[in-house]
Amino acid sequence: MTTKNDGGTGCSNPVEAATLMDYWLALLPSTAEDAIEEHLMTCDACGDRLRHVISLSEGLRTLARSGSLMVVISDRFVKHAAETGLRVREYAPARGESIPCTVAADDDMLVARLAVDLTTASHVDLSWCDPRGVEHQRMADIPIDVESGSVICQQSITWGKASPSMTLTARLLAVNEAGEEHLLGEYTFNHTRTIPGPPGWEVS
Amino acid sequence: MYVGLSDADLAPRIADGDSEAEAEMCRRMGPRIRLYGLRHLRSSSAADDLVQQVLLKVIEALRAARLRESDKLAHFVLGTCRMVVVELRRASHRQEALLAKFGSDLIPEPPPMPTLDDRQLARCVQTLKERERSVVVMTFYDEHTAAETARSLGISEANVRVIRHRAVAQLRDCLGVTL
Repeated sequence: MTTKNDGGTGCSNPVEAATLMDYWLALLPSTAEDAIEEHLMTCDACGDRLRHVISLSEGLRTLARSGSLMVVISDRFVKHAAETGLRVREYAPARGESIPCTVAADDDMLVARLAVDLTTASHVDLSWCDPRGVEHQRMADIPIDVESGSVICQQSITWGKASPSMTLTARLLAVNEAGEEHLLGEYTFNHTRTIPGPPGWEVS
Repeated sequence: MYVGLSDADLAPRIADGDSEAEAEMCRRMGPRIRLYGLRHLRSSSAADDLVQQVLLKVIEALRAARLRESDKLAHFVLGTCRMVVVELRRASHRQEALLAKFGSDLIPEPPPMPTLDDRQLARCVQTLKERERSVVVMTFYDEHTAAETARSLGISEANVRVIRHRAVAQLRDCLGVTL
């Protein structure tokens, strides 16, 4: 069992926080899990710490399922989300393509699937620009699966539902060790607001 | 009166019919059993059922002085937890007869779960690096294993673990949670 010195926990041999999280996520081998459970059955201080771990884990689960985070995800993840009942709105432009898009009030996830050849790239940034080319957000060093032939980015559904009609361009950039950028693909999303009511902000 | 007593001290007193020792044992073991139940049954109500069933079985055994080594009380409770979880998974019926015999007044209120500021958590997650955020979202959405997340993101399983540990530690710092 992985333990550390007492950091004021009230336990002389507290379980490491990372190990408690692995225990909660059922990621420990059975022998390590058995040892943790023997300890927890005698130690209320570590039980209290496990409650904090559970609370954080549940908060992250709720957040992950809310669709409100902007994050690079995988094809398996998108399929799994749809299978678990989420309504996924997905757009899959080809390189250089400009497409119309929208989001409905009952959508749960908003996903952009950007087709790209990643075979020569190791470090890739995803840049979001307005029609003037001004960068509004850069997602640096995103995780890539070279064999997948695409980058899948979840846009915040909260942001999408509040957004006015506007155009955004996603640019996938390979970045080398010298910091030099090479455009891998550019994709333009012409968003039309279809949800009734005023948007959350006006386009400047 | 019972605060200074160890868990092991309680077992022989319960065998002697000491109802206060019984209540103290339930007060101590109930929350621990509930944590075990949350981990293995993933449901608050199922964890509450587990607390009831395990405590009833333990009390029954202790009253009958069937626990020979009192310092093994925690181990005995854990073993009972494991057995009852298997039973619960096999059939979801409750042990009404035992509940009728012992009553449920010895079942302690569980300690409250710590609360998190959801907005602050969202802000903290947005400060993570892209790989960390991807690993966190994919791990916690449905408790994906490191292997599943690694396959999905095209990185090694060991790397997923390192990234997850680092991200969770950063989130705790951001939230001001000290463990």
